[in-house]
Amino acid sequence: MRRVFSQVTKEIAQFRRDRLTLALAFFLPFVALLLYGYATRLESKNIPVAVKSYDTGTLSRAYIDTLFATNQLVPARFRGSDIMGPLDEGEAKAAIIIPAQFSREVAQGRVADIQVVIDASDVNNARVIKNCVIAAGNYFARSRDIARGRQLIVPQVRLWFNPGRDEALYVAPGAIAVILWIFPCLLAALAMSREKEQGTILQLYVSSITSFELVLGKALAYTLIALAQAVLLIAASMALFGLRLVGDPFMFVLSLVVFLASSVLFGTFAGTRASTQSAAVQLVATTGFTTALLLSGFLYPLRNITYPLSLISNILPARYFVEECRNAFVRGADFASQLYIPLALSSCALFLYLVTSNILRKMQLKG
Amino acid sequence: MHLERLDFRLQLRALIRKELQQILRDRQLIFLLFAMPILQLFIYGFALSPEVDRLRLGIVDHAGSSISRALAASLVVNGVFEVEESGGTEAQLARKVQDGQLDAGLIIPADLERRYRSGQKTRVQVLIDGVDANTAGIASGYVGQILAAFNRQLTTGTQLPGELVAPQITFAYNPGLISSWFFVPGVIALVLNLVSTLVSSAALVREKDSGTLEQLLMTPVSSLQILLAKIVPLSFLLMITVFVALMVAFLVFHVPFRGNLLLFLFVSFLAILVGISIGIALAAYSENQRQSLLTSFFVNLPVIQLSGAIAPLESMPEIFQWMSLLNPLRYYVSCVRAIILKGVGLEEIWPNVLALAAYALILLSLSSSRFRKQLK
Repeated sequence: MRRVFSQVTKEIAQFRRDRLTLALAFFLPFVALLLYGYATRLESKNIPVAVKSYDTGTLSRAYIDTLFATNQLVPARFRGSDIMGPLDEGEAKAAIIIPAQFSREVAQGRVADIQVVIDASDVNNARVIKNCVIAAGNYFARSRDIARGRQLIVPQVRLWFNPGRDEALYVAPGAIAVILWIFPCLLAALAMSREKEQGTILQLYVSSITSFELVLGKALAYTLIALAQAVLLIAASMALFGLRLVGDPFMFVLSLVVFLASSVLFGTFAGTRASTQSAAVQLVATTGFTTALLLSGFLYPLRNITYPLSLISNILPARYFVEECRNAFVRGADFASQLYIPLALSSCALFLYLVTSNILRKMQLKG
Repeated sequence: MHLERLDFRLQLRALIRKELQQILRDRQLIFLLFAMPILQLFIYGFALSPEVDRLRLGIVDHAGSSISRALAASLVVNGVFEVEESGGTEAQLARKVQDGQLDAGLIIPADLERRYRSGQKTRVQVLIDGVDANTAGIASGYVGQILAAFNRQLTTGTQLPGELVAPQITFAYNPGLISSWFFVPGVIALVLNLVSTLVSSAALVREKDSGTLEQLLMTPVSSLQILLAKIVPLSFLLMITVFVALMVAFLVFHVPFRGNLLLFLFVSFLAILVGISIGIALAAYSENQRQSLLTSFFVNLPVIQLSGAIAPLESMPEIFQWMSLLNPLRYYVSCVRAIILKGVGLEEIWPNVLALAAYALILLSLSSSRFRKQLK
């Protein structure tokens, strides 16, 4: 055990010496949190919509007022000659044409058609706009015509945990998980491949330390560093995004520690596979980052991932920790229902530990 | 005078040949240039989808009547919701939503049938897990529409057509709302930026790292020739990367190409120049490959995040939208989407092209003068 601890002290001393890795460990994660937390918004507010009305009546003006009443849509100038004009110019995300007979039709209780074209190059916001337009139409109908608007069964929709639909509550916990995957594993990969690149690993091979102790020592050192990163990130997101721990604290800390360990062990594993530091960085960047960002449910629900790819997400630690962060910071889920998360994470960490130590054991000289 | 120019061209040609051979020999660079774009396009294209469907819905039906069953059926008919075990009571339903086992719940009161017969209004409770604010917002919009249609069905006795305003909605540019059509053009831009910065910084810094740069400087070639010999073959190879990415977009994701191919290639070339300039700057400020690679994280993270390639720029808070004006990749992303999906030409996107060209020019001259200064 003494050998493991001296390994830990050596790793931390080496880590503290390099200013670039220090910045990579503590400054860049913070920048990433700011960028993800503030600048990643899926749903647009203030979507520009261009309306052209050929109708001069008051009813069409009332309809247009309903359309822009919620602030989700804002009026934009109608440029160009036809309905595609504002969209081609990129001035508006939707264009609406109200025909000349609109007021007359509505006044007589007939259905008035209006023409709507939505820029669907952004698929998600195309749906948002469509919902807004339909909701505005329904609201307008109800306010105009009591008989028609009469609803016998009224849905009372309540959005739990996040009634204000604040996207930060969705993005920030996910970002914590993704960032705590990316950076600890990057640092560990650098540390491991540095030994190989500089040849110092040969000294370790001929020393009495076993490969299991070597990997344990590295993993412990970098898990400690990762814990420091985690404290910093979580404190920052509590201050900036108003996150509060509402779930079971023991469960969260347990999951956090095994998650960080699995991230570090993945980095160590990548480090043993690569021969140079730049190759190691590239390896974790292509295999680790993209999968953590895209297959973890960070941006869009997991069930939307196409089939063969969706299998990969099941073995990704980041996927479980994204879930745990949302449970801990937003939902406040029950202890027992979350047990699978630390279980999955620790089996992943154990697997990576055994694989990495075995690879190194094969390289090691027999003593 | 004439001979000198000939010399310059001959030397440059020799250097370019040397560069090409060096790059093509390097497996790491070949992987970056051709395999990574394909890999990234596949993952992004198949993984990212903002679809709102198959939400797990638990139903607690206290009424147990034909109307309540019809109501439940209307919610699942278009695939937005899928009925799952609710546990039978409101408390258990709530527990399941809180534990993340259900995404939504519907609670139908016992007196639904009675109130319906007497023509009274009934409230049914719909609760949606709001953690994913975007999905929850769209889902609650759907609930409203489904119930409005259901009510219309119930009250058809009044002989009135259901609605007063009937928006005839068409989705332009992407009528099937295929999400990969949105992401793939963005990812082409993102990958091109990533690859061009990484490859160019690697190609330059390696020469510094191994000391061969000094050897080159001892020969009669000028620093301008050295730099040009790096830029020309790289731009050529990166244009092939663009083609490869475009082929994946067509063949795998069936993204339509509606615009002008020449215009697309021209803006892609500008984007490549921007990427190479960033790479040159990284190489100029770094001692070795490790340092330039790690520094590239500090540059590429904000450049990619504030480009609109993944999360739309319009959704960002205003300050980030302003900041993104400083980001050359932003202009390329919007050019690529406009050319590929919208099929618009130079007269619509010229401000973006102009901005991109200006950035390419400024960055290229700044970074190359910085690099050349170092050589002296």
